[in-house]
Amino acid sequence: MAEEEKQNLLQLYRFCYLMVADAAKAQEIFHATLREAAQQAADGEAPRDRLWFFRNARWRCLEVSEKGLQAEDVDLEEGELAESGPSQIEKLEPQQFAIWISGAPEPQRTALALFYLDEFSHRDLLSVTELKPPELAKLLARGRREFQAWLDATLPVTQI
Amino acid sequence: MSAAVQLSRRDRMLLHCAPLREDHVDDRALRSALHHARQTPGLAVQQSFDRAAAAVVQAVPIPQEIIDWVPTDTYIAPTRRPWKKYAQNPAFAATGIAVVVIAIVAIFQLVDRLNRFPGQSTAQRLLTTASSNKSMMLDPVKTDAGALGDFLFMKHRLAHYDVPPEFAELKTLGCRVFDDEEGQRVAQVWVVEKKMQFFLFPAERDPKTGAAKHFNGWRHIDQDRWSGVVKEQNGVCFMAALRGSEKDLAPYISKKKE
Repeated sequence: MAEEEKQNLLQLYRFCYLMVADAAKAQEIFHATLREAAQQAADGEAPRDRLWFFRNARWRCLEVSEKGLQAEDVDLEEGELAESGPSQIEKLEPQQFAIWISGAPEPQRTALALFYLDEFSHRDLLSVTELKPPELAKLLARGRREFQAWLDATLPVTQI
Repeated sequence: MSAAVQLSRRDRMLLHCAPLREDHVDDRALRSALHHARQTPGLAVQQSFDRAAAAVVQAVPIPQEIIDWVPTDTYIAPTRRPWKKYAQNPAFAATGIAVVVIAIVAIFQLVDRLNRFPGQSTAQRLLTTASSNKSMMLDPVKTDAGALGDFLFMKHRLAHYDVPPEFAELKTLGCRVFDDEEGQRVAQVWVVEKKMQFFLFPAERDPKTGAAKHFNGWRHIDQDRWSGVVKEQNGVCFMAALRGSEKDLAPYISKKKE
């Protein structure tokens, strides 16, 4: 297996983790996705591209999320991106970020998780999220502002 | 995204999707938006914000089990480049166009070759003669065209210069025998019907053996709004020519006669 493909699969695990914010569930979804890919490959219908893995895992994550605790559907505060944003983010633990992303409503959750994986081209992102450019732009822009507001509330600049 | 540079609404919208890596920009509009906004502070803030968030994601620990479990064989089907991708490649497109042009020329040449027949060049030349002659130039001979074979044999010693049965019943106005540019004896007959002309001339011969080159059935030729149908029999070619098209001659040659 090419090293690139292996890295893709490791990113798949990170994607699952961001979507559900639970290492055990992420691992379970990761395994289930790979099992299905293996099954399809054995049947002579191997997935056409790496996007298949992320699409498949996405729906599994959403299914798992529906069974667990649901985030409240509230309008989050939004804040303008601050220059202090990156230093605030640096203080975050990956799990905190995953919890924040997994609490986002769909399809914003998928959009943010895939975008911050920094793994996909613009077109790939649109393909996996099944969104149009203006929709994706709106979700990402709002996500950033909400995240900034959350950072300001959780890690105020004065604490840094 | 506040900036001194005036960005269009579409650019501002697309910049929200700006990937962190240059190689992830695979959309022309997005590339253009990034180019327009490359020096705006808003984009710089957004990108450093995104970069920091992406770094946190890359810090997500991957359990050893996952690293160990990643299969050693690939599950992704080999990439098949769709034909459209090939077609968009200028080298393939140019080669493709060249191949198509060559194929078209080859087909034309093949069709032309298939339609060629021995004596075609003579027939073509005589078609020009037909278009430039008047009936007054001929000796008046009023008879059935079918009877001319004997006349040509008796008077000019031209053996097998027979009018085929398809045209044998047509009434003639006149006839002449002359030598063409190659010294071949050609009989020219003027017919009443449709101001048609007949030509009888020796079939093309094999330069080595001297034997006449035969061909079967009627062959059609066109030149300067004149049309002719040619048939070879017993080493002599017969051509019926008229001013018009193949359609005007078709009714005659479609008749089956003994």
